[in-house]
Amino acid sequence: MAADTSDVTAGFGQVSRTAGRVFRALLLAATLFGIVFVTILLLYVANDAIQPLTADPGWHLTFFLTLVVPTAGVGAFVYRRSQAAFQTGMLALGFVAVALLFSGGAAMLFIDIVRPLTWLAVVVALAVPAAIAVGVTAYDQRLPFLARFGVTTAAFYLSLFGLPGPLGTVASWLSQLGLPIPLGATLGSVRLVPSVVDVVSGVPVAPAPWLMLVATVGGPIGVVAGHAVARDRGRRARVAASSAFLAVVAVAGVVGPAVGVTPVPAVVVAAVGVVPPAAYAADVAVNAPRERVGLAVPATVIVGSLVGAGIVSVVGLAGPQSWVDWAFLTSAHSTNAESAGFYPSIGGSILLMLSVAVLAFPVGVGAAIYLEEYAPDNWLTRVIDVNISNLAGVPSVVYGLLGFGLFVTHLNRPAGTVLIGGATLGLLILPIIIISAREAIRSVPEAQRAASDGMGATKWQTVRNVVLPRSFSGILTGTILALGRAIGETAPLIMIGAPTIKFSLPTQVSETVTAMPLQVYAWSSLYATPDFYTKVVPAGVVVLVTVLLAMNSVAIVLRNKYQSHD
Amino acid sequence: MPADDAERTTRTRRQVLAGMGATGAAALAGCQSTSSEDPADDSLSGTVDFAGSSTVFPLATTMSEAFRGGDTGEAHPDVNFNPKSTGTGGGFANHFCTGNADLNNASREVRDAEAQQCTDNDIEPVEFTVATDALTVIVNTDLDIDSITVDELRSIWSAERDTEQWSDVNPDWPDEPLELYGPSSASGTYDYFIESILHGGDTELTHISGGSYTGTEQDRTIIQGVEGSTNAMGYLGYAYYSKSDDRVKALAVDDGDGEPVKPSLETARSGAYTPLSRPLFTYAAKSSLAEPAVAAFLRFWLEHATSEAIVADQVGYVPLSQEAQREQLDALTEAIDAAGSADE
Repeated sequence: MAADTSDVTAGFGQVSRTAGRVFRALLLAATLFGIVFVTILLLYVANDAIQPLTADPGWHLTFFLTLVVPTAGVGAFVYRRSQAAFQTGMLALGFVAVALLFSGGAAMLFIDIVRPLTWLAVVVALAVPAAIAVGVTAYDQRLPFLARFGVTTAAFYLSLFGLPGPLGTVASWLSQLGLPIPLGATLGSVRLVPSVVDVVSGVPVAPAPWLMLVATVGGPIGVVAGHAVARDRGRRARVAASSAFLAVVAVAGVVGPAVGVTPVPAVVVAAVGVVPPAAYAADVAVNAPRERVGLAVPATVIVGSLVGAGIVSVVGLAGPQSWVDWAFLTSAHSTNAESAGFYPSIGGSILLMLSVAVLAFPVGVGAAIYLEEYAPDNWLTRVIDVNISNLAGVPSVVYGLLGFGLFVTHLNRPAGTVLIGGATLGLLILPIIIISAREAIRSVPEAQRAASDGMGATKWQTVRNVVLPRSFSGILTGTILALGRAIGETAPLIMIGAPTIKFSLPTQVSETVTAMPLQVYAWSSLYATPDFYTKVVPAGVVVLVTVLLAMNSVAIVLRNKYQSHD
Repeated sequence: MPADDAERTTRTRRQVLAGMGATGAAALAGCQSTSSEDPADDSLSGTVDFAGSSTVFPLATTMSEAFRGGDTGEAHPDVNFNPKSTGTGGGFANHFCTGNADLNNASREVRDAEAQQCTDNDIEPVEFTVATDALTVIVNTDLDIDSITVDELRSIWSAERDTEQWSDVNPDWPDEPLELYGPSSASGTYDYFIESILHGGDTELTHISGGSYTGTEQDRTIIQGVEGSTNAMGYLGYAYYSKSDDRVKALAVDDGDGEPVKPSLETARSGAYTPLSRPLFTYAAKSSLAEPAVAAFLRFWLEHATSEAIVADQVGYVPLSQEAQREQLDALTEAIDAAGSADE
């Protein structure tokens, strides 16, 4: 035994902490390496874009006194009283910023892309069959499943497309290919039964556009917000809260013109940018008395900014000569660097993200559910499994080629359109959505599935009632992060022939589109004046990164909420 | 919930009627005729797709911007543009001759093979001269050389000569290695440089067969490369040089008559700056000229092709002379008439 001990001691050698410390320092360096470099770069870029040093010292002083000092004071006070309240306050602050950002995007949609009447028509066309579907479900016991399914599908089809609709177009294609279809050739062009969309958008007299938006955008958001605030205080409280939020939206439409904002954007900004954070604040104030004090943080920031802005404009202190200004956000590209703007690219990116989400989300989540819940464990599913992971690593330029080959060359669609861009980027992030959705589905505890099975639920009922509700926020988180990758992609858009520069926004999915990274690339490569690559490009990068961070922050909040439920 | 039910039953018919009446009145008050939202129909609308040379791209987008914006008196905000910068050859092969673009900008004339590809797809290209470009040979501002002959350029840039050092070309020059910067072989600028300097005799520039060449589409990188090294030489379009003329030095070029000429708007237009000034083109698909938007844009472009303010000051090329403009406009009118009658 004694010999063993001495052997061990000899093998252990001299004891020193130096090696461990060096190792630890190296690990820390590895952790910080990327973060530090990217942060420094972004600071440089933001400095070039915003030029904070060009502001009057008085401007800095004013905001330091009205914004920075009070916020620091109030923040420290709240933090010392309750950390939970401080967190709530910061969340509310982030909520305000992100909601206002998103409301800008939504306002853009209704100003330049979708006519409010068309939007109303689509909303009505979706609401009518949805109501029919709910009505049919009431006859759950008496009608067989196929009958209910048939009625619901027919109602949606009639409402959205009318007769013969896209099926008629398909029939006329097939008859051109020589298939014997009665009346085939004419089906593509005639219209037997108009759709609800056609009927509504064809009415000769309609409410003012902003009133339509109050009803169709403010209504649903108001109802959701009202329910969140009223919780289970009964019907009367819910109606009162919802009406109050709806009233805020309607008032914005009336007051907007008085302060120089046209009614349509005023209504959208109120509905998307003001009501949700207000509902969050009201919810905290009413339902979480212990965290109520946290709301002082966003209140201080908002009041401080407004007071600071007021003082600065009254005294006449010049702010920084930022390249990211209102004109940059709302005008199109120009050969002259001073008047070059980002508007068509911002709108294009939003449209692309919407079409990517619409196309890739159902497919990706469907695949994830199948692979996790239904797929048998055999060699085929294992091959699929491995290849989905491989697909996630395929370079984006290859997806661009795929998109061009498939949609433009093979299916002969016009190049560079919203639809093709969305489909190509959708293919690109599909594997990421599948992988993250599978992760979320897998994290639903097996015991819950077993409990559902034990109560006699079918597989479908378990998936619908247990698995999907439990994993939904996780799935959403993964999807948003995947969209964050898609919004920064340039190569696939170049490959599918998206125009380098656009002067206007597309109003249909079959029109061409450009995106933020593509525009930044064009500015940095095709326009050689120093103002372009030292000022306009950083300004574009700042906007792109801000949008990306806003999207990611939504994902992070969702994930935290989701983890705290476990 | 029972409380809710009680609430619902106690609501009287009068209350319901009053509520419905108020809502209806409010909705009616906000009603308006939907037809007033339609834009005026007499304005020109349509889409102009163009692809092609990155050299012509800034000129073409500046013209589209002016055409839409109305700084020059007419405004066509409903005409959409889809500009793509693909390089002259890429534009012909992938966009124009496949019928996906109305116009293809070119920094050289269309090649026979490209014209053939267009003809195979029933696309008839119509050529218009839109400006003159001057290629500029640049060196570092610290280098003590001010002019160069075409022969010297040839021995520096040709892949078939063996020049490594400045002193290999001219014994008066430094004993330093040559660093060469220029556009990649996909660029029309590259083709034009070969044509004018190598006279088609040699087929490649030094840098393609190796050597110290840095091929890039980005003219800015060429400027940066030359700015950063006293041993560097590069060539690029006059537009790019003129915007950075404080960072690099342009060499005067002697085409063999012993009189070096500095590149400038004047010397290029007058034809004194040879052989490195060249015409820039745009090719229109004849069938596209039947579209009012394309025809109107092209007419606008040619009408403003003599504008110093747009072509020279904003983009940096040499504007057309009045005479050349008249010729091009006549050709356009003829082509539009022909396209219109073919369309009927």
